[in-house]
Amino acid sequence: MISRSKTSPEHVEVRVLRQAAPQQRSYWERFRVAYEPDMNVISVLQRIAARPRTADGQDVTPVAWDCNCLEEVCGACTMVVNGRVRQSCSALVDRLLEENPAEIELRPMTKFPVLRDLMVDRSRLFRALEKVKAWVPVDSYHDMGAGPRQSPEAQQESYPYSQCMSCGCCLDACPQYRKIELIQRDDETDEQFAARQAATYDRNFVGPHAIAQAILFNQNPTGQMNADERVEALTAPGGVQVCGNAQNCVSVCPKEIPLTTAIAQAGRAATVHSIKRWFDR
Amino acid sequence: MAGETNDSWLVRHEFLLRRLHSLSGLIPVGAFMIVHLLTNSSVQNGPGAFQKNVYLIHSLDALLPLVEWVFIFIPIFFHGIFGIVIIAGGLPNTSSYPNASNIRYVLQRVTGVLAFLFIVWHVFHMHGWIHADWWIDGVAKNLGGAQFKPYNAASTAGLALQSFVVIVAYVVGVLACVFHLANGIWTMGITWGAWTSPAAQRRANAVCTVFGVGLAVIGLAALQGMWAQGRGEALEEAIRIEDQQYNAAVQAGILKPNEEKRAQPSEAEPGREASVDQASARSPR
Ligand code: HEM
Ligand code: HEM
Ligand code: SF4
Ligand code: SF4
Ligand code: FES
Repeated sequence: MISRSKTSPEHVEVRVLRQAAPQQRSYWERFRVAYEPDMNVISVLQRIAARPRTADGQDVTPVAWDCNCLEEVCGACTMVVNGRVRQSCSALVDRLLEENPAEIELRPMTKFPVLRDLMVDRSRLFRALEKVKAWVPVDSYHDMGAGPRQSPEAQQESYPYSQCMSCGCCLDACPQYRKIELIQRDDETDEQFAARQAATYDRNFVGPHAIAQAILFNQNPTGQMNADERVEALTAPGGVQVCGNAQNCVSVCPKEIPLTTAIAQAGRAATVHSIKRWFDR
Repeated sequence: MAGETNDSWLVRHEFLLRRLHSLSGLIPVGAFMIVHLLTNSSVQNGPGAFQKNVYLIHSLDALLPLVEWVFIFIPIFFHGIFGIVIIAGGLPNTSSYPNASNIRYVLQRVTGVLAFLFIVWHVFHMHGWIHADWWIDGVAKNLGGAQFKPYNAASTAGLALQSFVVIVAYVVGVLACVFHLANGIWTMGITWGAWTSPAAQRRANAVCTVFGVGLAVIGLAALQGMWAQGRGEALEEAIRIEDQQYNAAVQAGILKPNEEKRAQPSEAEPGREASVDQASARSPR
């Protein structure tokens, strides 16, 4: 048997920023979970859910969180762990205790509306992908045959961008990306509210993930056919110009996607595009 | 795009405004600052060398205010005020993410605000903001402004720099402006897409650092040189040289006599001779 470090604690102290429902006040709660080897934050949350009692013995509702793949490919479990946004499924308790032996601090993401406890509504992130048309349109019932060939070099350049899992870490860490939380008005239908929400999202910063996806699809030989539309979206209000070059996005991205390269490439495309448009009209 | 029609003018033209803000930082504002610091540092070659450069600038004569407004004041106002709008739209988070670029993001904003305060005060201190007699004589001078006299360039600038507080303000102001420009050129290269890959961004960063350190040295040399002309024997010598240059230029017919651009016009006789004692009798502030 591998002997674990002699200093393994008996308990793990966990502090969670909780919130019962959207718009409600948030509050801290402290839990104590029996230490087991190789725990991650999700298994800690599972122990809390199994026995939702605070460190000072109060029975409470179980802490709500989101997760799916448990191997850092879906992005659903993203939250702020010890002050840094990341996936909780790959946040190992042993590593976290090395950082701070006293406790583990869990907070929901800071830039998205909280639904409950550690669950947030990340729909703005997906709206941004729609805005920049982050797809290759396939608009035919007929078999069009194979697409154009791509050189290995071009594939190499595009591959990193294709790994984005829409987790939103880059957005949470970006100083230019500000939280937007709208409330449905009494006189508003669901459709009206959704439309107002989409319009508000569209006029605010799209974020580095969407800029990188626009570049990915502009590099694709078939996607290129809509390159101008994507650059147009990137120079619309809330486009690439909002970036302030803090480069936090690239430093927190769990997939190490070269976001600041994408931002500079988008800047270059925008420069060329606007000069061309100026002289073409 | 949905909802575009009821967006404000500022939102609809966000891309253009951001790009104009970025451009105006380098051209003309950054370019002006480089030339300005180089010109000022010529005082290291003696008060005469600096005075010659000032005559060159002032040979624009009646065009000077126009050039000042179109190429200097209006662009600085635009860049500065829109810069404040940009600052208000961000949410610094260096305590959670203390990365080098993130710290520089904050420093770019801090030095922008410092540059704003410094330039507003500095232009008042030396230049006086507007050339109107009632303002310059009635208000600006009483508040310690408008101290620079272009036809006694080094001596009046030097005299204006003799207080410790003023010198500290200038050192902070110059260094803030220089950092802001050097770091701004680096971010500009990303904004416009000149350097895209991490390696290219690192190389550009090295170039911008060398540029910044160089410009900081030039700026501080200008400051030290100017300060040194404002005290003791150097001051008397500077005034002597400046008055000599003035009289020679007026006699040669290449300069219109203009007592307002000389030190202490109110006390000076029209067409006075070089008067060392009169000018040097002023006590340093
Ligand atoms: C080494 C330190 C500096 C010295 C000794 C210095 C000196 C002067 C002087 C003597 C003037 C008056 C010119 C006139 O009235 O004709 C002036 C004007 C001005 N300075 Fe500076 N300056 C310094 C640094 C800076 C910096 C860092 C900036 C930032 C951009 C700046 C911006 C200006 C502006 C905008 C004006 C008014 C423009 C004009 O009068 O044409 N200065 N400066
Ligand atoms: C008057 C006060 C000033 C304020 C409030 C200010 C503010 C700012 C701000 C907030 C930025 C960042 C823009 C962004 O990230 O999108 C910036 C960029 C810049 N500023 Fe200034 N600034 C001022 C003066 C100056 C001066 C005097 C210079 C030149 C010497 C200058 C040159 C630049 C440059 C080159 C950039 C880079 C633009 C880019 O990243 O695209 N600024 N300024
Ligand atoms: S770019 Fe990186 S941090 Fe941003 S959403 Fe994609 S995977 Fe997450
Ligand atoms: S580089 Fe731009 S997008 Fe990335 S974190 Fe900084 S401001 Fe946000
Ligand atoms: S659960 Fe999918 S990334 Fe964590």
